[in-house]
Amino acid sequence: MVQASSVEIRKVNKFYGPFQALKDIDLSVPPGKVTCLIGPSGSGKSTLLRCINFLEEYDSGEVRIDDQLIGYEVPGGRKMPARKLREMRRSIGMVFQQFNLWPHMTAQENVAEGLIRVRGLPRAEAADRAVEALRKVGLGDKMANHPARLSGGQQQRVAIARAIAMEPQLMLFDEPTSALDPELVGEVLNVMKTLAGEGMTMVVVTHEMGFAAHVADQVAFMEAGELVAVDAPARILHQPEDPRIQGFLRTYHERNAF
Amino acid sequence: MFSIETFFDSFGPLFWAARYTLLVSGLGIALGLVIGALICAAGLSRWTAAQRFAAIWVSFLRGVPLLVQLLLMYYLLPVIGINVPAIAAAVITVGICASAYISEIWRGAIGALPKGQSEAAIAIGMDPRNVWTRIILPQAVVLSLPALVNELILLVKASSLVSVVGILEVTRASQAHAATTFRPLEVYLAAACIYLLINLCLAGLGRYLEHRTAV
Ligand SMILES: Nc1ncnc2c1ncn2[C@@H]1O[C@H](COP(=O)(O)OP(=O)(O)OP(=O)(O)O)[C@@H](O)[C@H]1O
Ligand SMILES: [Mg+2]
Repeated sequence: MVQASSVEIRKVNKFYGPFQALKDIDLSVPPGKVTCLIGPSGSGKSTLLRCINFLEEYDSGEVRIDDQLIGYEVPGGRKMPARKLREMRRSIGMVFQQFNLWPHMTAQENVAEGLIRVRGLPRAEAADRAVEALRKVGLGDKMANHPARLSGGQQQRVAIARAIAMEPQLMLFDEPTSALDPELVGEVLNVMKTLAGEGMTMVVVTHEMGFAAHVADQVAFMEAGELVAVDAPARILHQPEDPRIQGFLRTYHERNAF
Repeated sequence: MFSIETFFDSFGPLFWAARYTLLVSGLGIALGLVIGALICAAGLSRWTAAQRFAAIWVSFLRGVPLLVQLLLMYYLLPVIGINVPAIAAAVITVGICASAYISEIWRGAIGALPKGQSEAAIAIGMDPRNVWTRIILPQAVVLSLPALVNELILLVKASSLVSVVGILEVTRASQAHAATTFRPLEVYLAAACIYLLINLCLAGLGRYLEHRTAV
């Protein structure tokens, strides 16, 4: 079982110039639970997710990881020192839609890099741990491959290995399967399910309603920068009360029907 | 009549002069890489003064012909009390001029990397120094190799201009040789062959590097 973090988001606002991308967002992510963020394109899901590790700077409100405010020294105060922010990010893994593997490194080097440069492990130990992480995502035999010699699904699994090798207490996923061919989606979702089963706290932006329905502990629905509802998956996906959620799911089902 | 003999005889003195062509373009690109890196760093830094300096540097050097830059440098250095051989003045001028193009090449290569590359590193808590040295620069340098080789080829050709400050490189040597043999056609054809030979080798090197570093 992993040591799992909680996330508390309180009254978070985010502006791009005059445009408000996040409006007074409140969300609690309990430790060891899986939270899925769903909603139409442009609703602010990625922005919210990226505020959790301060890759995107929120303008007001609070984001706390295990009670520790991220990004600012005090709410509405000065930015926290870069070193402190880096320290907090070490225990937050992130997986991107476009994988973002480093193309000039092999799979093993991709995973070991952070262990060497961030955790300060000796090369040999980092290499061993990289192998271990790659085995865990089922890629023990692809360690020497560069990303260009891996399928999309394999690349995304390397990206997950890169994140979990750092031994995070929280994992953020931004549409991890959206760039994949349909037949490769399953292998990535399976790795994520295993991770969830081990008690990792996960926040997952996804369009995979099956994953949200079966793996998530709670589902949050966003639209136009607002968090419309947070509830058990069944209550959001099967009996939504809000007409905005009904409309979204209708579009989703129409698109997926053939 | 075309004299095959004069054509072939020209190669001796012209090859000898080619050492200056290679020296000026070789040292010029080396200097240009160093200054270009500094200018590129200044342009990407967060200090507005440094950014402005880099912008002026680049636009001046790209806006003024190299020939004029060479003459300026040649006459300027003694005025400010620096007495260096013409060859040094030539190398410095060519290097400075190249730095403007090289800094733009690197800026372009760095800008061409997807933002996600550095974001992935920042997200695991990597510090900026490692983000640059481990993630951004290794990729940017590889991306820039074809353009750098191209720049070197341009320098080899541009080095013919340093003849104005009295350096006996291939072009100047062929002018002298043509005047003594009264066979300009043969001599200049030989000069053309030498430039072509050098640049074909460089183009080959470029393709080799591109092939070797492709992932
Ligand atoms: N850097 C930016 N500058 C200006 N506007 C931005 C920027 N990033 C995002 N936005 C805007 O903020 C809103 C939310 O974007 P976000 O990427 O969070 O949406 P999303 O819900 O993740 O959508 P998708 O499902 O398409 O990924 C969008 O309207 C987008 O245009
Ligand atoms: Mg998004």
